[in-house]
Amino acid sequence: MSGHRRVKDISYDEEDYDDYDEDDYDLSPEDREQMRIGTIKVKEALGPSYNIPNKQIEDALWDSYYDVAKATTNLKSTHTPIQSKKQRQESRFDRAAGSAAQSSPANKKNESAIPYPLPISASCCHSFLHTENFFQDAPWGNIPSDRLGVLVPNSIRLRYGLLGGSSKPSKLAALAAARKKKEDEKKAGTTPSSFNSGNLETGKSILLLHRLGNKQSSHSSQPSTPLPDGSITGKENVGKYITPTLPNRQKVKPTPAIERQIRDVSDTVDHSEDTPARNIPRSDLRANPSAFAHSMFGKSLSQAVGSNDQEDSAFMLPYLSDPDFAKLNAFAGPSPDDVVLNAQAKGAKGTKSQSKQSIGKATKSATEGSDSLSVQEPPKVKSKNLNVLEEFEKSKLKSSANFVVIGHVDHGKSTLMGRLLYDLKVVDQRSVDKLRKEAENIGKPSFALAWVMDQTAEERSRGVTVDVATNTFETDRARYTILDAPGHQDFIPNMIAGASQADFAVLVIDSSTNSFESGLRGQTKEHALLARSIGVQRIIVVVNKMDTISWFESRFQEIAQQMSAFLSSAGFSPKNVSFIPCAGLTGENVVLPAPSTASWYTGNTFLQELDTCEHSTCPLERPLRLTVSDIFRGGITNPLSISGRIDAGSLQVGDTILSMPANENATIRAIEIDSESVDWAVAGQIATLHLADIDPVHLRVGDIVCTPSAPVTNIKSFTAKILAFDHVLPMHVDVFRGRLNVPARVAKLLAVLDKATGEPVKKKPRVVQPGLVARVVVELERAMPLEVRERVVLRTEGATVAAGLVEGLV
Amino acid sequence: MTDRRRINGPPSGTQTPIFASTLKQTPTVRLSPPTRTREPTELRKIFLKTGLVPSSSGSAYLELQHSSQLTSLKITCTAHGPRPLPRSAPFSPQLVLSTTVKFAPFASRVRRGYVRDSAERDLAVHLETALRGVVLGDRWPKSGCDVVVTVLEGEEDAWWGDVAGARERGEGWGLMCVLAGCITVASAAIMDAGIDCVDLITGGVAAVVEEGGGKRGEVMVLDPCPAEHRNVLAACVVGYLASRDEITEVWMKGNASAAISAEELIEKAVGAAAATKAVLEEAIKEAAFVKFPELAKSRGGLNDIDMNG
Repeated sequence: MSGHRRVKDISYDEEDYDDYDEDDYDLSPEDREQMRIGTIKVKEALGPSYNIPNKQIEDALWDSYYDVAKATTNLKSTHTPIQSKKQRQESRFDRAAGSAAQSSPANKKNESAIPYPLPISASCCHSFLHTENFFQDAPWGNIPSDRLGVLVPNSIRLRYGLLGGSSKPSKLAALAAARKKKEDEKKAGTTPSSFNSGNLETGKSILLLHRLGNKQSSHSSQPSTPLPDGSITGKENVGKYITPTLPNRQKVKPTPAIERQIRDVSDTVDHSEDTPARNIPRSDLRANPSAFAHSMFGKSLSQAVGSNDQEDSAFMLPYLSDPDFAKLNAFAGPSPDDVVLNAQAKGAKGTKSQSKQSIGKATKSATEGSDSLSVQEPPKVKSKNLNVLEEFEKSKLKSSANFVVIGHVDHGKSTLMGRLLYDLKVVDQRSVDKLRKEAENIGKPSFALAWVMDQTAEERSRGVTVDVATNTFETDRARYTILDAPGHQDFIPNMIAGASQADFAVLVIDSSTNSFESGLRGQTKEHALLARSIGVQRIIVVVNKMDTISWFESRFQEIAQQMSAFLSSAGFSPKNVSFIPCAGLTGENVVLPAPSTASWYTGNTFLQELDTCEHSTCPLERPLRLTVSDIFRGGITNPLSISGRIDAGSLQVGDTILSMPANENATIRAIEIDSESVDWAVAGQIATLHLADIDPVHLRVGDIVCTPSAPVTNIKSFTAKILAFDHVLPMHVDVFRGRLNVPARVAKLLAVLDKATGEPVKKKPRVVQPGLVARVVVELERAMPLEVRERVVLRTEGATVAAGLVEGLV
Repeated sequence: MTDRRRINGPPSGTQTPIFASTLKQTPTVRLSPPTRTREPTELRKIFLKTGLVPSSSGSAYLELQHSSQLTSLKITCTAHGPRPLPRSAPFSPQLVLSTTVKFAPFASRVRRGYVRDSAERDLAVHLETALRGVVLGDRWPKSGCDVVVTVLEGEEDAWWGDVAGARERGEGWGLMCVLAGCITVASAAIMDAGIDCVDLITGGVAAVVEEGGGKRGEVMVLDPCPAEHRNVLAACVVGYLASRDEITEVWMKGNASAAISAEELIEKAVGAAAATKAVLEEAIKEAAFVKFPELAKSRGGLNDIDMNG
């Protein structure tokens, strides 16, 4: 009933103004005249149902500045008409009844006969404040400004104080409240004199809260001052007296004399229980809350303490006002935790199904076992149980060799290999013609031979080799596998993968002006160093593109001189380095002999030089090791295949192999070497194995395949003898082993070693300078299959830092 | 393949610690010990407020205001109860009061452990003794009340800037100040919980300290801050019921000269406790007016009511 409230407010005002009226009596004659007329009018308006003295009518008029209507309203609201209450406090029911009566014709006459004084103010207020009538006279559009509302946005505000709390009290708390209430009622029944008596017994001590409220009355009666005689008069305090030297502070009803004394004391000290001992200055001991307290209590503090600082102590986060923040919906997607959990759930499901499968298998085999008494599941692929070594001896295969072609980008590695294959008729004339035509179409006719090796669309369009390409050819002496490594520095990991499979290396150098020099700064050196550190000992340096410099001898000599100096410093022995001038694009001195312009050159052609290479014997008797360099999923017959060089040992169809680091078994379904199906393969060959009984997720490029009987162990740290190419500090590196690479950390620098003797020169160096040999401890972030005497390369930020030999597993 | 292109920063930043003893006198770091600027009988100002933790039946927060830039005591207390004892507990005709005092790990300059140490357990026993005498336990049979005091910022035993060994380190003087605060704040929390008590209990400390050099420098001070004094000789804490003039807890230790009697020291501590009571009353009154606004109205505001137990 907002109307009533408004009326009430007005009546308060009236009271306030009363004083003013009484003080001020000098009305002017005009005012008096107006007042007289107004009074008559008001009386008329009020009608006979109100009996209000003139004085009050005058006051009301004075308040309303002689506004008759207002004064009438005021008076009506403050005074009851002589008639019944019904008119003033009209309930909803009454109103409904009234309206019913109005509508009935029988009562209509009655109403018109009696001038029924409706409470005007109330009714008009009702009609106006009723929501449906609110817009009654508002025009459509052009709404007056006083009716327009303003919506103020609520800014995000942090909640203060500590979290928690519930509105519902516990059972005991409710019991406590009930007791308290009961006690309160009881106390209210008793006279306040019971407090004054001062006979407060411990057991019946009133509730503290109650005491807080009633203390005023009991204050004067409860002072406890030291009695002069120090006697104990109270009943309840006997035995609680602490020391005899302490003044006795009993709560006794003081005699009038003592009361006077107290009053004197309380002039200076307002707390009655003070003793002479505690003449402590009673300055206000209350402190204002510190900033910390403010943050603990928040808003409630300033309200309760009554500090009138209106400053908003809310900590607004600085970015809340940023419009971008409002737009930002941080919780739209799944949270990082959810992402992880989902992934984990997925993983768990996978392994579960896997394990279920294996359980199923196990139970199946168990039931079968009970029948046939054979627990082993029969292998799907039958092994021929060949003695591979004997077979190998019998076959008297031509010795095979893998070589890696390395060198700076655009020095013609792929073209040289293309020319070699073309001249050896491995690639036929037709396909080379086709490639030549395609290359001419895109305006790069010189790329045709390179495209023999670079077969992917990306490599052809970019004109650089990206991944190691393999191809094979055969001479009278041996079978060769070419590993054409990419020269670009972005693909050095691929180059390492290729070089790690190689028996020897072919370093291609562009002899044309500036190209050799830029290559020397670029990958020529790095590749040579990497090849050496991976374990390549024999290197053939092919000085390419001799046709562009017209087979100029001194240029060849210059390059040969510079390179031999560098290669010997890199650790190649001079007898293992040979230099061949040739022109890959035209094919001079590759397979065909050198042209007449190069009469100064009497040495071997490139192909002849290849045949002079001594082929290292591979350790056939050692347990199987194969580095996976490629994984492919073929058709229905061979769902999963891997390929890679067999580093050691031998294998045959039907063998069970173990893939590390996944530690999963697989069975060899078939073996292919150079696209020919074979029954066995030995170390040194690059074989393609078609596998069964393994999930592809367990195989990755760089994995090591070994026999289950002598597996490689996954290790997390090792010591290595490294040759530093750059400053080596205890730092983060990537450890490359073939294609596998793992982030790691050089944990300790143990010693700098003498290059020749291998004796420690300096122990615990702080840094290993470039070119020095050192022994370091490397800790891997993930376990990696590694063995002693294996070659690893340490790189960081795209540059090779060091290469080395694993010496021991820590 | 791991991400090898990104250079990952260290997982967290660190700052080099600076030890005060290694510093030459610099204007930014004050290395002279703080001194007491208050009168010997003057207490530090106290801020006390109840209703800190909404989820507990009663709670309070107390802090002492410091004149200098030193740390000041900050204590919170929650009272949970009266609440039913667990079924496994034996019958108790009285309210089972259990007190726990724990320093926050960061409360002192030497970091505290998460498990309560012997000093904290000792404080809890003292506090329990103090509170047991004031709570009307027989009104709440078969129920318990846990009073948990957390010291957010403790009192130093001695000034931290002293080079170790130059003076014997404090012998737990700071703990005594903490206990006094604990008693007061626990009293407020129990009042907030609505547990019936015979009186308001407050804690007070007095100490005999060495001011200058020599024997004559022995001064008795109220509410000592151990860091402000060269040496504290003796100290006394009391839990005091001001309007009943009773002591429920005395803890006194130290060696003072014969000129100062123990009774005198206790009397001083009682004085400090009595002075503290005014603050406690104000805090409870304030809380009562928040809970029962009609009470405040009928009494016409905060300052018109005079209360004593």
